[in-house]
Amino acid sequence: MAEDILRLEDIWKIYEFGQTSLAVLKGISFSVDKGSFVAIMGPSGSGKSTLLHMIGALDTPTKGKVYIAGKDISRYSEDELAGIRGKNIGFVFQQFNLFPNLTAQENVILPMVFQKSPEKERVKRARELLFSLGLEDRIHHRPAELSGGEKQRIAIARALANDPEIIVADEPTGNLDSETGKKIMEVLRTLNKEEGKTLILVTHDPNIAKLAEKTIHIKDGKIQ
Amino acid sequence: MIKEFLKIAAKSLRTRPMRSWLTMIGVVIGVFLIISLMSLSEGIKGAMMSQLRMMGKDLIMVFPGEINDFATTFGGGLELSEDDIKAVKKAEGVESIVPMNYKAETVRHQGKVKTVLINGVSLEDGLDVLENDFGWNLEQGRWPSLGKKEAVVGNAVPSEIFSGMKPGDEINVNGKKFRVSGILKSVGNKQDDSTITVDLDMFKDITGERKGAKMLIAKAEAGYDTERVVENIKGELFETRKRVRGQDSPSFSVLSSEKVTGIVDNILGIIQIAIIGFASIAIIVGGIGIMNTMYTSVHERIKEIGIMKAVGAKNKAITTIFLIESGFFGLFGGLGGIILGLVAAKGAELAIRATGSMYLKASITPQLVIFGLIFSFLVGCIAGYLPSRSAAKMSPVEALRYE
Repeated sequence: MAEDILRLEDIWKIYEFGQTSLAVLKGISFSVDKGSFVAIMGPSGSGKSTLLHMIGALDTPTKGKVYIAGKDISRYSEDELAGIRGKNIGFVFQQFNLFPNLTAQENVILPMVFQKSPEKERVKRARELLFSLGLEDRIHHRPAELSGGEKQRIAIARALANDPEIIVADEPTGNLDSETGKKIMEVLRTLNKEEGKTLILVTHDPNIAKLAEKTIHIKDGKIQ
Repeated sequence: MIKEFLKIAAKSLRTRPMRSWLTMIGVVIGVFLIISLMSLSEGIKGAMMSQLRMMGKDLIMVFPGEINDFATTFGGGLELSEDDIKAVKKAEGVESIVPMNYKAETVRHQGKVKTVLINGVSLEDGLDVLENDFGWNLEQGRWPSLGKKEAVVGNAVPSEIFSGMKPGDEINVNGKKFRVSGILKSVGNKQDDSTITVDLDMFKDITGERKGAKMLIAKAEAGYDTERVVENIKGELFETRKRVRGQDSPSFSVLSSEKVTGIVDNILGIIQIAIIGFASIAIIVGGIGIMNTMYTSVHERIKEIGIMKAVGAKNKAITTIFLIESGFFGLFGGLGGIILGLVAAKGAELAIRATGSMYLKASITPQLVIFGLIFSFLVGCIAGYLPSRSAAKMSPVEALRYE
């Protein structure tokens, strides 16, 4: 059996609002094998965004344990979580979330700056990534000058900057037309298949979920 | 790492040029005020202190009236009587005394008539003190011969009051003919350079004032502690006044040159502190401007903060990015303020020199420039600290969700 890169054990997320409390995640457990492709589906309000935050080390659970690359991060400090996000996880967002003031290359370099990698290496790696994603003509362009597909490819290059084991994608094709969305999915699948990146993807689209080896359906904070 | 952060900060400043400029101008004004006022007040202080320091440490000044009441002392027409002068002379430890008098009189030279301040100094006793302690040196000619109607004129007299005046010229002071025997070198201030000095006997002849003096200078004998001699003089004056006039409230001031220097130094110091205080308020206002801008900037970039955190930025990195931005405002605002302040101080120096009321030199020291830069940078950092912290403390989930 393949080793798991991510494991959730009885995850609860409870928000307190004065007297009342709201449980968004209610005892979720699952594990993701290294190098696999897992889709997460669920209606809005089901808690899938909150779940994604746990997987992406953006937030910690109220109760339960989250193991990323063998480490229990559920009691990590803000800065320790930032370290995990920087080294082990690459994010791809629906809204691309690129820095409008920075060029494509500078956007890709940024995560490496936070990991303090040497400057020469940063530039080399950013260029390699952008070249491999077919963006060699777009290196010095700003996001506003680029198409949606190009933006998402830059975002993918950024996610890969620190060579993480896990790519967490939140509706990566949600803001793209179907043709472009297909191409982006091809890029992500190639990364999964050929480079062995673990791909965890939130989607509404059953056609995309079909591509995954495993689909987790979530409703009312529980796995169905 | 810092290099990239600098780039990010610079880009964000350039995104909103208007706001960046306005914020910076707030700092510029504060630093401008501090630098220009400090360099000018240092210049004034330097000029006054260097004049005072020319005086020997063994000199004692005796004025009528209380020193803390300048108006009566210098403007109230009080005088030291002949008895007072005698009392000072016989005080223990007094080597010599130089009574001094001054009065404005009309002076005519080659048809021009002007009112000039005439000094009357006993040249027999006082020439030594004038030369050695007051720094009066001849530029041309010689000192007046005793008993002759001769006068020395200050440096500004031939250059500005009676242009072209030279030794040997005849002047008419209050109807009495005098010959200019010499011209003094500048002593460093316009007032003293614009006077005419005659022997005390001649002065009495001109003004008709036979007795007393406006002030006198006593020189302590070698081996005596000057402050001790000051006490002796006070004692003698007190006795004399009590005996001769029946006064028991002594109305005179006896000060060593060191005391006078100290008093002037203190007064100028207080003025400088006041200046720094007012200018600091301007800088604080500039700092509040920075804080305001930074809070706005943090608010506008909540999403960016969330992205940075998502891609691995630690709290310290976020704080640093925003601190660099506010430090930028401080540093460049400070730089602008320093340049403007120095230009203004230099301009004021030239303007004051042109009007000729004072020989002022703006004191522009590297320390002042470095102080200005460090101070403004610190104001920037302090003003940016709270906004940066609020940025760093944001939860990544909430920041990412923010639209």
